[in-house]
Amino acid sequence: MIAAFSSWFALFFSAVFTQNILLTNYLGMCPFLGASRELKTSFGLGAAVVLVMTFTTPLNWLLYHSILLPLGLEYLALIAFISLIAAFTQLTELVIMRVSDSLHAALGIFLPLITVNCAILGASLFMVARRYSFLQTTAYGLGGGLGWMLALLAMAGIRQRIAKNRLPRGLEGAGIALIIAGIMAMAFTAFTGMATPA
Amino acid sequence: MKQPPNLQEIQEAMRPGRLSQTGFLGTDPRPLGDILAEDDATVRRLGLSHEALADRMAYFREKGVAGLGVPVDVPPHFEVRVDGVRGRMPCPFRHPGLYPKVFCQVKNLRTRETITFSDLQIHMIGAHGFYEGRGSAYRLEPETLIRVLEVSPAESSFNTPLHEAPGGAPSDSPRE
Amino acid sequence: MGLEFLLGVGVVTALNTVLALLLVLAERFLADYGPCTLALNGEKKITVAGGRDLLATLKDQGVFIPSACGGRGSCGLCKVTVLNGGAPLATELPWLKPDEIARHIRLACQVRVKHDLSLQLPPQWLEIRQYRTTVSSLRDLTHDIKEVRLRLVDPPEIEFKAGQFIQFEVPPYERSDETVYRAYSIASPPSAKNEIELEIRYVPNGICTTYVHRHLRLGDPVTINGPYGDFTLRPGEREIIAIAGGSGMAPLKSILLDMAEKEIARRIRYFFGARALRDLFLLEEMKTLEQRIPGFEFIPALSKPDPMDAWNGETGLVTDVAARYLPDASEAEAYLCGSSFLIQAAIKMLTSKGMPRERIYFDDFG
Repeated sequence: MIAAFSSWFALFFSAVFTQNILLTNYLGMCPFLGASRELKTSFGLGAAVVLVMTFTTPLNWLLYHSILLPLGLEYLALIAFISLIAAFTQLTELVIMRVSDSLHAALGIFLPLITVNCAILGASLFMVARRYSFLQTTAYGLGGGLGWMLALLAMAGIRQRIAKNRLPRGLEGAGIALIIAGIMAMAFTAFTGMATPA
Repeated sequence: MKQPPNLQEIQEAMRPGRLSQTGFLGTDPRPLGDILAEDDATVRRLGLSHEALADRMAYFREKGVAGLGVPVDVPPHFEVRVDGVRGRMPCPFRHPGLYPKVFCQVKNLRTRETITFSDLQIHMIGAHGFYEGRGSAYRLEPETLIRVLEVSPAESSFNTPLHEAPGGAPSDSPRE
Repeated sequence: MGLEFLLGVGVVTALNTVLALLLVLAERFLADYGPCTLALNGEKKITVAGGRDLLATLKDQGVFIPSACGGRGSCGLCKVTVLNGGAPLATELPWLKPDEIARHIRLACQVRVKHDLSLQLPPQWLEIRQYRTTVSSLRDLTHDIKEVRLRLVDPPEIEFKAGQFIQFEVPPYERSDETVYRAYSIASPPSAKNEIELEIRYVPNGICTTYVHRHLRLGDPVTINGPYGDFTLRPGEREIIAIAGGSGMAPLKSILLDMAEKEIARRIRYFFGARALRDLFLLEEMKTLEQRIPGFEFIPALSKPDPMDAWNGETGLVTDVAARYLPDASEAEAYLCGSSFLIQAAIKMLTSKGMPRERIYFDDFG
């Protein structure tokens, strides 16, 4: 039990830091560059990614292990995962709209955007490739989402600060953001050794 | 010149659709700090100050107001019309208050040139040395302003007290 | 191989069908807010389909709320009181003052109609409609004032009071990339319900006036909404002093035509200020009106007539000319229209002649 928990936690930790899906796999780059100018928008987008990734990764695990694998249809994983993610975001938006206007104003606008976020699909594909158990997948989904959000918030914070600095023209915007992302990726690898997945 | 901390935020506020439909920067790709620095250098090179220009503009505006929307002659050879349209504009440099959309059209009958400026522009030039970005329909080239309004260094002592004291320039003013 | 192929297609189809079914059910049960009743000012009740924002919902019902951004929450104009709409969203806060929040004011474009709502809006808004029109005539009145006639297409008729104004919708064009609205007074009388007339003076670099003066062509479609404003003739027998300049002619022309048609025979003196003869316009129309309205006198004042004008009328600033005619204005009422400076100067002059401030009416363009 303790072993299971520690493996669960190690996986969660590595998904947030050492194996950060954004900084080690460079997935979910477009919103990372496009929506990281302001902390406020970044927070909304990040929270939406956490929500969607936490739920779709385990749901896709169930889909894969209970339908695709028994029927020998592993090669359909990509298309099935995309369908499920799309339906989930649509459904979530309807629920949020019903439940709270202010939550919808903060999160709702990002949900349709996230349908095509590669980090979310990436997390589902990785959980298959890495043969995670259901519990591990849950930890990985939650950790992956939080890790993506953490990287986005860090980037937004840095970009808010450097917005006031003058840059060589060619580096303005995406140029400097990619350099920062590279340095951040290196910094995040420093977490290796604090915990490694079992 | 290092861009002061909130100059970037001011530049954001100057984009189209924020405070005004067309924005303040036109097609000018330069950072706000560079725009201010270049115009500042031009005005200094011509031996003048932003305050002197703004004072001259305010002088014509006050003369023109007397026409109640109809052009009036201002000696020696100017024709000035001041009129207002509905609406008010805030200062993008975050000065408190709203500036009425009053525009002043000055025609120099000797050079046959006409320029138009608003109350907000008199303020932005006097307090912030800002003439708007290149490509903005409202851009006032300092040289044109000086030529058409015939501002001479000697004349800058010929202040009208009606203009807001430039001492009120805030710390975010780009001028050192 | 064939079987595996069929299985693959079948599973994907089944999966997507299940997901689609789920969404349809969600749409049916989650997104359907059913019919909602909107109570306007506690009297008028309308039933609408819930689920959309209030601005669009009301617009479909023919209730036109002023908005310049088209419902994106970026102009802050569509303020209405929503008594049971809950707290404003973060997107609305920049536009609302604390006292407005306390009075339950919201931006209509940010309020989603999910249940019955009790709304309060200015009563004249209920009369405001959007009209599709086409330009039926364009005419230069002076070198910088254009007369624009708009024939109403849908709805084909407009009800308004003489002196009111409409908002002119300027589509995105080379000088602006958003739809903008500008207000212009109607110059035609209310009896002409299927065509309105505007007098638009060129404002240097103005988005709308540049559009009208440089781009608008005969037959072009124009969308307007209105009517707005309370610059209308007050009933009574008092003598009327009207002072205007430039495009301030428009609402007064509408009022005068309306008076002529209704045979209102009040004493009315109309002082109109311009620089030279070339800036005066509609002189023939004014002469005709002087014959139709027994007590009407049109007094143009030129501040600097050209020697070529051979002007033998009044000269000087319009307010000074009016002052010479009015030894005592304490029993009259005044209607002012024009530049804000003209209005300020006229108010000062009239009050110095004994006219009470509350009997001076003008369109507040400030």
